[in-house]
Order: sequence, then structure tokens, then C-alpha cells
Amino acid sequence: MATTFLPCGVYHENYKQDQAWWQTKFIKSKMFLLFISLFFIIPWISDTYWLSIANLIGYTVLGALGVQLLIGFCGQVTLGHAAFLAVGAYVSTLLVLEFPWPALLVEWGLAYPLSILISAIAAGFWCVLFGLPSARVKGFYLILTTMAAQFITVDFVITQYVSQIGGRGQAFSLPPGTIKVGPWVIDSDIKVYYMMIVLVILCVVGLVNLLRSRVGRAWVAIRDNDISAEVMGINIIKYKLLAFFVAGFIGGIAGAVWISNLAAISPEHFPWFLSLWLVGVVLIGGAGSIHGTIFGSIFMVVVMELLQMAVIPLADTYPKLLVDFLFIKESAFGLAICVFLIFEPNGLAYRWWQAKNYFNLWPFSY
Amino acid sequence: MELFFMTITTGVMVGGIYALIALGWVLIYKCSGVLNLAMGELTLIGAYVSLAFYSMGVPFIPALLLSLAVGFILGILTERIFLDKLIGEPVLTVIMVTVGLSFFFKGIVELIWSTDTRVFEPPVFPLEPFRFGPIVVGQVYLWSFVAAIILLVIFVCFFKYTRWGLAMQATADDEMAALSIGISARFVYAAAWAIAFMAAGVGGTLLGNINGLNISVGYMGLLVLPAVVLGGLNSVPGAIVGGIAIGVMQNLCGAYLDQYFPGAVKEIAPFAFMAIFLLFKPYGLWGWERIERV
Repeated sequence: MATTFLPCGVYHENYKQDQAWWQTKFIKSKMFLLFISLFFIIPWISDTYWLSIANLIGYTVLGALGVQLLIGFCGQVTLGHAAFLAVGAYVSTLLVLEFPWPALLVEWGLAYPLSILISAIAAGFWCVLFGLPSARVKGFYLILTTMAAQFITVDFVITQYVSQIGGRGQAFSLPPGTIKVGPWVIDSDIKVYYMMIVLVILCVVGLVNLLRSRVGRAWVAIRDNDISAEVMGINIIKYKLLAFFVAGFIGGIAGAVWISNLAAISPEHFPWFLSLWLVGVVLIGGAGSIHGTIFGSIFMVVVMELLQMAVIPLADTYPKLLVDFLFIKESAFGLAICVFLIFEPNGLAYRWWQAKNYFNLWPFSY
Repeated sequence: MELFFMTITTGVMVGGIYALIALGWVLIYKCSGVLNLAMGELTLIGAYVSLAFYSMGVPFIPALLLSLAVGFILGILTERIFLDKLIGEPVLTVIMVTVGLSFFFKGIVELIWSTDTRVFEPPVFPLEPFRFGPIVVGQVYLWSFVAAIILLVIFVCFFKYTRWGLAMQATADDEMAALSIGISARFVYAAAWAIAFMAAGVGGTLLGNINGLNISVGYMGLLVLPAVVLGGLNSVPGAIVGGIAIGVMQNLCGAYLDQYFPGAVKEIAPFAFMAIFLLFKPYGLWGWERIERV
């Protein structure tokens, strides 16, 4: 996406200003307001229902960030990202439940945060494993490989083998009180919200800064034309695999965080639908833009909730609707993807960019 | 040994159906360059439509023909409403539109027919199996195979000998040249989708006759992807060979590997095979190898 113009009459005088993250005082105050509202106003005004929706949005953002990195910045299409979320969730759960943590760590509440880190690394390597074919194939063939990742990981490895560990059968239930971060036991929506928001901010900041660095520029070069990127001396296999690692890492964090919001996890939490949902979020938000990931997540989650709210009053007259809501959601999602791709191929982020530039350049749109 | 031959025979029979669906896929790709991920849902729609006609009391063959007609109309509508606007867009956009379509279709099918398994009642094919010496094959499989082969032959003849088929071949070969001799590319795209819908519908109906009809038949339609990757994306003979090979492989894995990896090995094997195959021979057995330049 093209750069945003500076407001009228604002000029950079040195490179430091040019490279700065928040370039004007206006942006700084805007971000400050955003932080205030994220940390204080939203938890203060919203009830449990809206907090749970905010958590869902956070989960979607975390999951879609990795997809955005792969599709929007590195040009490697993935249709199996739910597999890496599942790996993160399962590794974290297994570590929390089965690993003999030293009593000291459990007491200090470090077991779960450490398990998030380990599961993120595990998911990253699992993602690299399925990214290996990207060294040889691209485009449609890579899509097929990532689809295979989904089916092999979730439907085979996790359902058939991982679920059997500990003899619990299909679902791993997390007893209340096991998820503990520092002195806080994560047992309510508001605590999940705070944990989620911190992790979302960390991941977004980390990824955005990574994209500003040499690594990110290499990714964008590979996306735009991989052959010219190779000619320019970029080791494309290394950078592609690095992109897969980072995407899997963030996906692993998403999965590991999400278990704090669930009483039990089972393979049904990570269907193929979730993979495609994440891709849909990225495309609706706008590929190649971090803003787009967040807008897309908010848009999709809120639209689906509104759809549900519309269905519930109608259910009194048509009780069948309640049963069929899942199917309505599915087809609405499919239709939304089609409509956005046909009529709004640049996504929501493009409109945001247009609006920002309009106000920045107002009144002299030179 | 008997088990081995029986597995192979069943595999070939089911593979014939996969080949039919794969043919529809290859057709769309050859003619319009669309990589279609909604193939599973096309099979679902065709199968449910013919089931609906059949349970209304229409005999099987007319029901199948009616579902072909519905598939033809739906195919043209789909192409005109969704895919027509995407000519010249990036590949990912088109693929994701087909993914969106697959969800849309699946949701609609579930809304109309719900998710319970339905069977063709009364059974279309007699239940007692055929015996060729030691090999026993269910009649469903045999007749499905025969029907699939007949349709395959009809489709291949259509491409080789009719005016429309030749127009489609010409477009697949060189779109610009085809346009310059007066072939309407839009017509060819619509025809490709219509034929894919029809082929998938017949394939779905036959699959529904074997195991009963539910959403998982749509998953069977997804198996065309390993089949076309094996045969090469733009090769019609490749699609046929690939479909049969995937059918055989799936049944062999189900028979021999199930004891070592209990559970869903039959469903996963084609995809695992595909992932490994892509590493070594990404263009398939007969696909065109693309040479890329900056």
C-alpha cells in the first residue's frame, strides 16, 4: 500500500524524522488515545458479552497476522493456518497439564507464559516443515500443500494420536486455576482480555517493526517478484522459511492464548473452516496491510455477531433458524468473500488509507 | 492375495468416479485458468438435486438427466454472476472466490437438505454382488464405474468431434488465436463451468449411491485435487489416470495401512501423498512445465 501523505505544511528535515514510527504529534496523540481506550475505556464500558467478542476479535487478529504475513507480505498463500493454531494450543495445553514443572515456577505463575513461548516455537517449526515445499513450488501448488498440512495435522496427527495422550479421549479439559500468569489466575473474560490485548500489541508491534527491517523488505521483494529478488541476492528459500516460521510463531501464540478462554480443547476447534476464515479476514481487510488484518477481524466478527442478533428475535417465529444459523453463517461468509473480492479487491484498509489521505491533504489536495 | 485384487478392483471402480469429477476440474482450468476449490460442493449440489428428483418418484435415469439440466443452468449462472467479473484478476483472487463459493454452496445445501445422511430409497442398484471368480464386487461399484466410463467417453468425444468442443479446445490452447477466429471466450468459459457442474453432479450422485449422501461427499469431491496434481493440471488423460490412481491408492492404504495407523488413514493418504509428490514432480505426470522469466 502506498504511503500516507503528511498533512499540509509538515516537512521532514532529517532522516530520523523520516524513519520515525509516529511521525506527527497528531498521530502520537491518536495512538495515545487508542491505548487509553484499549486498556481502560473498553473494559470499563463493555459487559461480559462484548468483552468476549473483543477476545474473539483479538484471537482472530493474532491468527490472521501470520496469514497476513504469508499472503500479504511474502506472497505465499496458505490455506491451512488453523493447523498451526492447533499445534500451539495443543503444545501449550500438554505442557500445562502433563509437564512436571518445578513447583517454584508454578507458584510464580510462569508455567503458562513459558508454555506459550515453547508452543509458539513448536508451531513455528511445524509451519516451516509444511513451508518446505515452497522452496520448489509456488502459487496453486503451495496452496495444495498447506491444505495437506491442515488435514494431516488436525484430522490425523492431533485427532488420532495427540488426543490419546493421557487417556482423556477426544477433548482436553483444563481444570479451573491451571491457567495462571504471574499472580493472576486467568478465569474471567476481563483477565483474558488484558492478556490478549498485551499479546496482540506485542505481536503487531513486533511484526510491523520486522517488516520495516531488512527481513521485511526481503519478504516484500519476494512477494513482488521472486525471480528478481533472487537476482538481487536475496536468499529466497531462507527468507520464505523465515516467513513461515514467524507466521507459525504468531499462530502458535494465538492458539496458546485461546486455550485460556476455553474450558476444553478438541480438534473441532480448529477445522478447515477456521483456516479459510482467517484468509477471508485478511482478504476482506486488505492483503498487504497490518491495518487490514485488524479491520478485517473487527468487521467479520462484528458482522457475524450482528447476524446472530438478527436471527435470535426471528427464532420465535421460525425456530428452525436457530438450528440453521451455522449454515447461514457459512454461506454469508462465503458470499462476503466473493463480494469483497469482486467489488472491493483492495479491502477495507484501502478505504481507510483513502480517508486518511483525504483529511491529511484537506483543504489543498495537491 | 484375494484381498489385494479386490481392493484394486474397488479402487479402480471408485477411481472412475473421481476421474469424472477431475475431468470437470481440468476442463475449467484448461479453458479459463480458474483453479477451482469448490469442486466438492459442485458434487454435493448435483447429488442432492438428483436425490430430490429421485425421492419425488422420478426414475433414476430421468432424475440424473434432470440434475444434469439443473447443473447446466447453475454452472452458467455461477460463471456469469461470479467468475465473469474476475477475468484478468490475480490467481489468488480467483481461487479465493471459488473458496467463497464453496462455503456459499455448502451453506445453502445444508440449509435446504440439512446434514443427516440420506440414501436413495428404494436402492437404485441391486444389492447382491457380482462375482468374477474369487473377486467380489458390489453392483453399485460396477454400475457406477460403467456410468462414469460412458460419461467420460461422451465428454471426450464431445471435445474431439463437436463444434463446441473444438471451440473449447482452441480456447484452452491459445485464447488470443481463438478470439481472432471468432470464438466467443465468454461462451467457452460458461460452457466449461456448465460441463464441470454436470460432471461433478453425476459423480456426486454415483458416490451418494455407494455410501449414502451427506456433507462428506463434498469432501470426496475435494479428492480431485490430489488426482489432478498427479495427472498434471492441464491434461485430460492425466485427470482420468490420476483419478483412478487415487482411488486405487486410497483403497490400498485403507486395506493395508489401517492396522498400523488406526483411524482416518484412508482420508488423509491422498493428501499426504500429494504433499510429497509436489516436492518431487510439481507439474504432475503430463502437465505443462512453465518456464518463468522476469
